[in-house]
Amino acid sequence: MEKKIGVYICSGCEIGSGLDIEKLSGIATKEYKVPVCKVHRALCGEEGVGVIKNDIEAEGINTIVITACSPRVKYDVFDFGPDKIVERVNLREQVVWSHDWTKQVEVKTKDEEGNEVVNVETRPNDDTQMLAEDYIRMGIVKAQKGALPEPFIESITKNILVIGGGITGLTAAIEAANTGYDVTIVEREQELGGYAAKLRMQIPTSAPYDQLEPTVVQSKIQEAMDHSRITVKTNTEIARISGSPGMFDVSFKPAGTKSVWDVQPKKKEEEGEEKPEEEAKTEEEPVELPADQIKCEDILASDPDAERFGAVVVAAGWRPADPSEFEHLGYGKFTNVVTNVQMEEIAVRGKITRPSDGRQAKSVAFIQSPGVDGDDSDFPFCSSVTSMISLKQAKYVREDDPDAKAFILYKHMRTPGHYENFYRNIQDDEGIFLTRGEVTVIEEDSAKNLTIEVDDTILGEKITINVDMVVLATGMVPATKFEPVINLAYRQGPEFKDLELFDGYSDSNYICFPYETRRTGIYAAGCVRQTMTIGESIEDATGAALKAIQCLESANRGMAVHPRSGDISYPEFFFQRCTQCKRCTEECPFGALDDDEKGTPKPNPTRCRRCGTCMGACPERIISFKNYHIDMIGSMVKAVEVPDEDEEKYRIIAFVCENDAYPALDMAGLNHLKYSADVRFINVRCLGSVNTIWIADAMSQGIDGVLLIGCKYGDDYQCHFVKGSELCNRRMENVAETLGKLRLEPERVQQVQFSIDEYKNIPAVINKFMETMESVGFNPMKGF
Amino acid sequence: MAEGNLIKPDLEFVKRIRNSPGGESLKKCYQCATCSVVCNVTPEDKPFPRKEMLHAQWGLKEKLFANPDIWLCNQCSDCTAYCPRGAKPGEVLGAVRKLSIEHYAFPSIMGKMVGDPKYLWFLLAVPVVIFLVVLGYMGHIGIPDGEIIYAEKFVPVPAIDAIFISAALFAALGFFAGVTRYWRDLKSGVEISTNKWQKKVKGPLPIIIINTIVAFMTHKRFRKCEVTRDRADAHLFVFLGFAGLAITTTWAIVYLYGMHLESPYPWNDPMKILGSISALSLLYGIVQIITNRKKNAETAGAGGYFDWLFIMTILTIVVTGILSYALRLADIAVLAYPVYFIHLVIVFFLFAYAPFSKMAHMVYRTTALVFAKYSGREDKKYN
Repeated sequence: MEKKIGVYICSGCEIGSGLDIEKLSGIATKEYKVPVCKVHRALCGEEGVGVIKNDIEAEGINTIVITACSPRVKYDVFDFGPDKIVERVNLREQVVWSHDWTKQVEVKTKDEEGNEVVNVETRPNDDTQMLAEDYIRMGIVKAQKGALPEPFIESITKNILVIGGGITGLTAAIEAANTGYDVTIVEREQELGGYAAKLRMQIPTSAPYDQLEPTVVQSKIQEAMDHSRITVKTNTEIARISGSPGMFDVSFKPAGTKSVWDVQPKKKEEEGEEKPEEEAKTEEEPVELPADQIKCEDILASDPDAERFGAVVVAAGWRPADPSEFEHLGYGKFTNVVTNVQMEEIAVRGKITRPSDGRQAKSVAFIQSPGVDGDDSDFPFCSSVTSMISLKQAKYVREDDPDAKAFILYKHMRTPGHYENFYRNIQDDEGIFLTRGEVTVIEEDSAKNLTIEVDDTILGEKITINVDMVVLATGMVPATKFEPVINLAYRQGPEFKDLELFDGYSDSNYICFPYETRRTGIYAAGCVRQTMTIGESIEDATGAALKAIQCLESANRGMAVHPRSGDISYPEFFFQRCTQCKRCTEECPFGALDDDEKGTPKPNPTRCRRCGTCMGACPERIISFKNYHIDMIGSMVKAVEVPDEDEEKYRIIAFVCENDAYPALDMAGLNHLKYSADVRFINVRCLGSVNTIWIADAMSQGIDGVLLIGCKYGDDYQCHFVKGSELCNRRMENVAETLGKLRLEPERVQQVQFSIDEYKNIPAVINKFMETMESVGFNPMKGF
Repeated sequence: MAEGNLIKPDLEFVKRIRNSPGGESLKKCYQCATCSVVCNVTPEDKPFPRKEMLHAQWGLKEKLFANPDIWLCNQCSDCTAYCPRGAKPGEVLGAVRKLSIEHYAFPSIMGKMVGDPKYLWFLLAVPVVIFLVVLGYMGHIGIPDGEIIYAEKFVPVPAIDAIFISAALFAALGFFAGVTRYWRDLKSGVEISTNKWQKKVKGPLPIIIINTIVAFMTHKRFRKCEVTRDRADAHLFVFLGFAGLAITTTWAIVYLYGMHLESPYPWNDPMKILGSISALSLLYGIVQIITNRKKNAETAGAGGYFDWLFIMTILTIVVTGILSYALRLADIAVLAYPVYFIHLVIVFFLFAYAPFSKMAHMVYRTTALVFAKYSGREDKKYN
């Protein structure tokens, strides 16, 4: 496409008052010789937009640079269709609203008698003007360097795979199927329903949330079985999922067997890679051999019998935790000490009876926390759900015998939201006795009756109680704690990333994007994601089903799903220059790349989230997006005019993350917070996409310092791309080393962790960096 | 071996509290202690009513009874008004006090009967039969002619004395048995033996008793109530009315047996004036109590059978007493004698059943207050 650039300068919203608009036009017309440059007092108005549209029609303008407000506003007004490049230069929030328009200048004159007089005059602020001029330069360069992205579209399938046939999986399947998508449920057990089908009653799911309800799972099972769009595979497990969203190839196998299509854990991969190709042909069917005798296929091998799916919902649920480690509670030693799961099994069979002699239990104690020695914690993987399970089971005891007693001994009793009504109703039962307390010991007598000693109770003393049975409120452990479940044929390994960091739960932006995982197109729902009640699982399943559908309906148009929803750009690789360093494969937070045996990356565009972390990683700089690439940003850096040293003006480049830092800058502007006009901001998709070459570019042309403003990293990261800001930080450590070798102060490059709600600190952050600059002085490479 | 205090919740006792008027909300308490914070009459150390609510929920009867705190509560209902869960500690404690009176009742059957509306007619029948027997024996059944003279023409003074002295002895015996056991429980109670608030005894017991009664005269403690602030005055009128009538009665005994003056006495006799003022005070007080109860029903609860039986007993006594006097002066014999008969019956009812009715609060509360002082259990200091 031959570009014809039009620059449109808006003088409204105080831009015209704070800046010399004529000089700005001059940059476009004289320096960059753009064919069209127009000024309008309200570009976003009907008339202003009309001017641009008219030029598109009459002059053939196809690349539009709008210098007005932030690109975060009015994007709908300045949308001129998919075949036009629109570049926004932010003169409002980041120039006139956040910098002084004028400055006080001391002017020396001589009066009539020839004495020197100092007058203070108000002059336009040339620093602010220079800032605006640089932004226009950068905007035009960006427009020149950018290209229209073309979506990567492959033919995809819109089937959805649901892993797990419990209440969550069934609901996800039914919801997706009702929306018109074909769904397959894969369940390891013989029967559908999971733990929800093994309950006497369930915790309330509907208003007024105070009564036990009959379980709903049976009707869900029936609905799934009868649904024309749902296929059910019981006694089945997943050997591997290969491919990418829209094109996942799933190899199934009978539950509990081994298969050549199993995915080996990452570490073993290197050794077992000798001759996988040949053996695959001879071992077509699943072989029941010990694991070490099976040579698993490489992840890039393709299973001819695999079924294709577009998206995956992981509803693998939970496994009961084992409380044996708490010896003082006597689990495994005393017959009448059981877990809440075992209690439910007893309750389903009939009256609550003791395992030791089958006698009906007249008094049962429920223990919520193992806590000894003042330890406040509950059982591992406990939650509000296990609190409510105890309340529910206490009610069983009472319903079975109106003279029976149930004791609930807790450190914490959690009944959030509407479940408070449930708590109240259970508490109102006169035979249910609740106290906080620390169970110090449980003893058994010859008749297998149990004596519990509880310290620090709300009764204000150490008490003992005699009971027939003890129920331990053991936790619900996510299935992903024990095995990968998804068995991805990805180079980064078969399981979700960083499981150990989250106790076996898959990593996600938990608050903002609950169903997301670190694997695009694979959505977690239900207890595999967080301990949930049946009601919550049903809701969660519905949300995850919707995410799976969104994934399908984005992948089919070549769009990113999350968080750059709708982005059609994708990374392209110039393989001739690839050195097979595998850095991109290893650093991609989403495992989008699978390198082959030589180490050449295989891009899977539908797995990609378009953060550009690979672009930032690549030492050969062969990775680029059509509208975001190394040369583009590098040229923008070079477009900044660096004043001579004798002008005593610093020039700083700040790479700012578009997710938090850039909006924070806009908010600072909106609040008219003032900061130094020596800093030029460049919006980046993620700090992970910042390639160190840009820093070298900046330093070599005399820029005094580079500031990187991105999200918080570490265990409590806020990075939208999970690892971007962390990787950037690691790279900057290397940069600091390099700077040191060049006799440049390492302080010239700094990374700041910033969150959007801290926008009031923008001036402080910038001023602090400016102080650092003043202490290290100007870049000695200026003028070379 | 486990060394904690063995707890055996008494489920039946929990059910009894819940089935008593005022006790229904017991299980709503979730131990936030707002009640103990807002209470103006609780001691600072181990404050009530939170712990009482807990003990009641757990059916720990002994802990509730062997403890002065349920009687230190004036049922101001400040706790009830501020409770975030709709539990009504004030009312629950009222129900517990009723059960406590029943628990210490001697003979214990009386405790059950007085507290249960089923037995009301039987309990009323006792004095009715006694007085009818006396009247029958005297040949006084029917409305006597001529000037109305209750003592001469209806129930003679010796008969009245004999009946009421017996009733009073019965009540005194009941109180003695009840209070003795209560005191013993208080002293041996778990709370006491393990309690750090048991400090040095403050002076000899008789002095403490006198101090307690003197302090009570002013109703100072009662006035700390906020939600039902007006109750103190009403209660004071009733109390003073009773006190006045007690003095009047003693005075009359002096007239009758010391000075051999026969009733009726002229209206301007000082004893008569004291009696009349006392009766009016009692009437005013009890009407105020009824009005207050109606007014505060929302925040403090309307009260149950046990409360209303006591209130109505007093109301009936004072109304029939005044009417007996008025009807005598008006010379309406056909009404005067029956009203007087009712008066006698209800006075008997009040006296004979005092240790088992809410009247017993007078004795148990005083005992508890004395014990609190005796054991160094003080009220909040900052009020």
